[in-house]
Amino acid sequence: MGDKGTIFNIQRFSIHDGPGIRTTVFLKGCPLKCAWCANPESQSPNPQLLVRNIKCRSCGKCVSACPRGALTWSRNTGRQIHWERCNQCLHCVEACSFQSLNISGYEASIDTVLAEVEKDGVFYKNSGGGVTLSGGEPLFQKDFVVSLAKRIKEKGLHVALDTCGFVPAGHYDAILPYIDLILYDIKILDPQMHKRYSGSDNRLILDNAHHLAGLTQMWFRIPVIAGFNDSDDQIRETARIAKNIGVKKISLLPYHEGGKSKCEQIGVVYKFSEGLIPEDSWMQHLANIIQEFGVDTSIGY
Amino acid sequence: MKKPLHNIKSKLVIKAVRNVRRGDQAEEAQRGMYRPGIKLDLQRSRYLTESYRRTDGMPMVLRRALAIENVLKNMDIYIQKWERIVGSSCSIPEGLYFGIDMNWRSVKRIISGHEGRGLLDDTGRKELAELAEYWKGKSMSDRQQEMFTGDILKYWKYEGTFIWTHWSELGIPNYEKIFKVGLRGLIDETEGRLAAIDREVPADYIEQKEFLQSVLISLRALISFARRYASLARDMASRSEDPADRRRLEEISTTCERVPEHPPRTLLEALQSFFFIHIGRYIEYSTLGIGVRFDKIFGPYYDADSKEDRITRDEALELLQLLWVKFQELGLVYSPMLSGIYGGVESLQAITLGGVDEHGQDITNEMTYIVLDAARSMQTLEPSIALRYHDGTPDTLLQKTMEVLHTGVGYPSFFNDRAMLPTLEKWGVPRQDARDYAITGCVYIEIPGKNISRRALGGLILPKCLWWALHRGVHPVTGVQWGVPTPDPVDFASSEDVLNAYLDQVRFFFRRQCTIENTCRELYAKYLPRPLYSAFLDGCIERGKDCRQWCYDSMVHDFCVIIGTTNVVDSLAAIQRVVFEKKKITLPELISILDKNWEGHEDARSMMLAAPKYGNDDDAADAIAVAVHHGTSAVLAEFSDRFGHPLRGDGSGVSATYGMALHTPATPDGRYDGEPFADATLSPSQGRDHKGPTAVLKSAAKIDTVKTFNHLLNQKFPPDMLESDKKDLFAGYLRTWGDLDISHIQFNIVDRATLLDAQRHPEKHPDLIVRVAGYSAYFVDLSRGLQDSIIARTEQSFT
Repeated sequence: MGDKGTIFNIQRFSIHDGPGIRTTVFLKGCPLKCAWCANPESQSPNPQLLVRNIKCRSCGKCVSACPRGALTWSRNTGRQIHWERCNQCLHCVEACSFQSLNISGYEASIDTVLAEVEKDGVFYKNSGGGVTLSGGEPLFQKDFVVSLAKRIKEKGLHVALDTCGFVPAGHYDAILPYIDLILYDIKILDPQMHKRYSGSDNRLILDNAHHLAGLTQMWFRIPVIAGFNDSDDQIRETARIAKNIGVKKISLLPYHEGGKSKCEQIGVVYKFSEGLIPEDSWMQHLANIIQEFGVDTSIGY
Repeated sequence: MKKPLHNIKSKLVIKAVRNVRRGDQAEEAQRGMYRPGIKLDLQRSRYLTESYRRTDGMPMVLRRALAIENVLKNMDIYIQKWERIVGSSCSIPEGLYFGIDMNWRSVKRIISGHEGRGLLDDTGRKELAELAEYWKGKSMSDRQQEMFTGDILKYWKYEGTFIWTHWSELGIPNYEKIFKVGLRGLIDETEGRLAAIDREVPADYIEQKEFLQSVLISLRALISFARRYASLARDMASRSEDPADRRRLEEISTTCERVPEHPPRTLLEALQSFFFIHIGRYIEYSTLGIGVRFDKIFGPYYDADSKEDRITRDEALELLQLLWVKFQELGLVYSPMLSGIYGGVESLQAITLGGVDEHGQDITNEMTYIVLDAARSMQTLEPSIALRYHDGTPDTLLQKTMEVLHTGVGYPSFFNDRAMLPTLEKWGVPRQDARDYAITGCVYIEIPGKNISRRALGGLILPKCLWWALHRGVHPVTGVQWGVPTPDPVDFASSEDVLNAYLDQVRFFFRRQCTIENTCRELYAKYLPRPLYSAFLDGCIERGKDCRQWCYDSMVHDFCVIIGTTNVVDSLAAIQRVVFEKKKITLPELISILDKNWEGHEDARSMMLAAPKYGNDDDAADAIAVAVHHGTSAVLAEFSDRFGHPLRGDGSGVSATYGMALHTPATPDGRYDGEPFADATLSPSQGRDHKGPTAVLKSAAKIDTVKTFNHLLNQKFPPDMLESDKKDLFAGYLRTWGDLDISHIQFNIVDRATLLDAQRHPEKHPDLIVRVAGYSAYFVDLSRGLQDSIIARTEQSFT
């Protein structure tokens, strides 16, 4: 158990997910369903169809390959996908010659992932980097990610865990011995708002933060969305918590609409039309607030 | 004497050549090869020819010396109002050097067409026609064409597989020795040798005597040339009303009286001495790509001046800025065909910084930093800066180089001692000499002071060799057997079979290229001896032999520029995966699709594109990269230069990866007919590296520098990679490049949006500089197609 996991990307030269040059392993599956999610394909724990219409050359091979008639083609509309008929059998992906139909997510063994993250070991050494386990929520595949973290740690590499915090506290206890840094998402402090936009309230998240901050190094990360969670009060309060529990740094990540096109590609409705990109000057203003608390901050990473 | 920088920068004369040809076809010729105001200077040609007319029948080496003496004696000289370091290879600041003794045809062609009608007025045209009349049958290109017969004459004509050209011939004087003894010391040495051979009468007595006499004529001519400046400055000073200006001119006069004849005592004298030697050899023989270990040579002069309070750091910086403007004045006329290879180039003068001394210790000094400050403040095309990186390179120096890179000028480029020192030793260079290597031109490696008149014997277009291998050496349209008959692709069972056929084609074409080269080298030795330059190298005076009659014993010398290696690699990797492993298509089917330039077969092209590609740290593709690089190098090494040293390939493809791709039809990597090749030998194909910059380095590191020396790697990053705390990441990335023993890397630090905007609104970006190959160029001087090929390079930025 735990020898294989489902991941959807291994990103080398990751420079925004912790210190130094890193490799980030993105695991599939998440307990939250944040409306602004930049990687909506990370939410489902299973491999799924990802469509890039721009690459379609209208060859029609996928239409014949689909056993459920979920793909159709006509001169007027071009290739269309009817998601309600799709059962993710993924036969169409095999038929496509143009990388227009792709699978997001694949099963990988620990050895495979390990081999990939070790490739940039020499870069980690020279830049103070390492491996970041991200998602989705990495602990959604607890057994796999704990074993993986253990094996990476055994190689002497720096390991960061990028977590949403909505995880039973005991899960963290299992992985903590192999973790050097936790990147901890604080999305919004108001519990009702949190529930409305992510599907769950944030009490567990805040409790876990208090619990974990004393046990390992922790940085907060805030996806800053204009008019939503970017008020002075919100940031001040988060900075205060950070200072109280010993969080060294807060990363301010300006919201972007990357999730929107990905939702279309996986046949999901993007439910965050009100999301706004914050101004650079406002981001700097928020960074200044955080610095007043004596907490480090950075914008964009 | 302090002047604001914008005043210094306003003196810059831009002589970059625009690429008006692609292969043998015109491209944007109506723009003209040079910016408005640039003129062809006929004075060198005039006085050279005048002397040649007088010396008919004399030994060639003496004729050369007398001709150069005549030029140095009679060419108009000038001192501009802002100069403190003087000297020029032309009679006017906006003049272009031109070697009528090399080739007069292409210049005549340039001035009569769109490319360069404005370069000469009618009087000039008339004079050029008269001068050319003399050189008919006598210029180097005439003599070459007379010498070629049979098979060689057939392959001499450019068809798209290889090109022999007068590509470049470089070398670095022994400045340390020259500064120590002055030209006077060299004259004494030469006179001593003359006296010695009079006593000994060696078997080659006459040749030695003629050579040594020519050396004396040349050295004395250069001293007199400097004295002409001293006298002009004195004259101008006596007429000057402004006391500051008078002091400046008197300083020039005193300096030029002293150097290069005597050893320099100050930084100013050292720089002036250097510049006379620099342009002297340039006037003697049309070359490009001059180099010098600048901080090693000039650092001690600055330190001494500084210690004695003779100069402040700011004053030293200003001297360098003034020298930078002078570097910029050295422009060359290129043939239209060469403009396609050297798009955006001026004359490829390079400055080497850092590295180690003869004991292996880091040589970084204050001059290293002053040079980088000069580079950052001036942002000129010339000189390009190369940093020799080694384990002991200080962090502060790396940080400083990043400040220069951040401006986007494309330099410094980085050369890795960890890769280069073992390579040089393998070439037979003793360790002590190897530790002194310096960069000339874009990426050439040389040993200062050694008799290395390095030449590139043109370019070999490797994807075209592969294309011949897929067609049994027969052109599919004309039916002509142009390459060697290799086996029928029907019988190929693996990518290795394809590789072997490709290597057979490389061997076939390279044999012809080498025959042409060795013939030409013999002609150069006979008709273009270089007595002045010979005096600046170790061993020529001692042997009584011109630098072209012998050479430093190592294989550092000649090489062939190889173009498109990555496209061959990606092609073979795609064939291996799609044809032989997955069997989705047969090789003959693929070849017939290539012959149609993929038309109607986008699915096949997509499959070939999706196969493993070099630059992604993918062992399937990278193993093929190793086989192609190592195999190609081994074939080249089967051939020798005329002194018996094996030949090798080199990654200095300049813009030929664009210009020389025109005549290579579609290739199995998914490339269309005529599409540019990957931009350098170690670079992935544009946009085909998907795993980020660390994976690119990991792929490149698999190719053994010592075995291949294919050393040019371009990377493109957005400017924010060199800002705030990301600078430490970048330093870590660079250190890792060092640890991976990759020989070279250079960067374009510019975002795509800026480049696209510069294409749409060139008037808004007249000074935007980009890295093309081993050199930087003004973006707006490049043709649209070459601009596109730079924009298409993968920009490494990640989340």
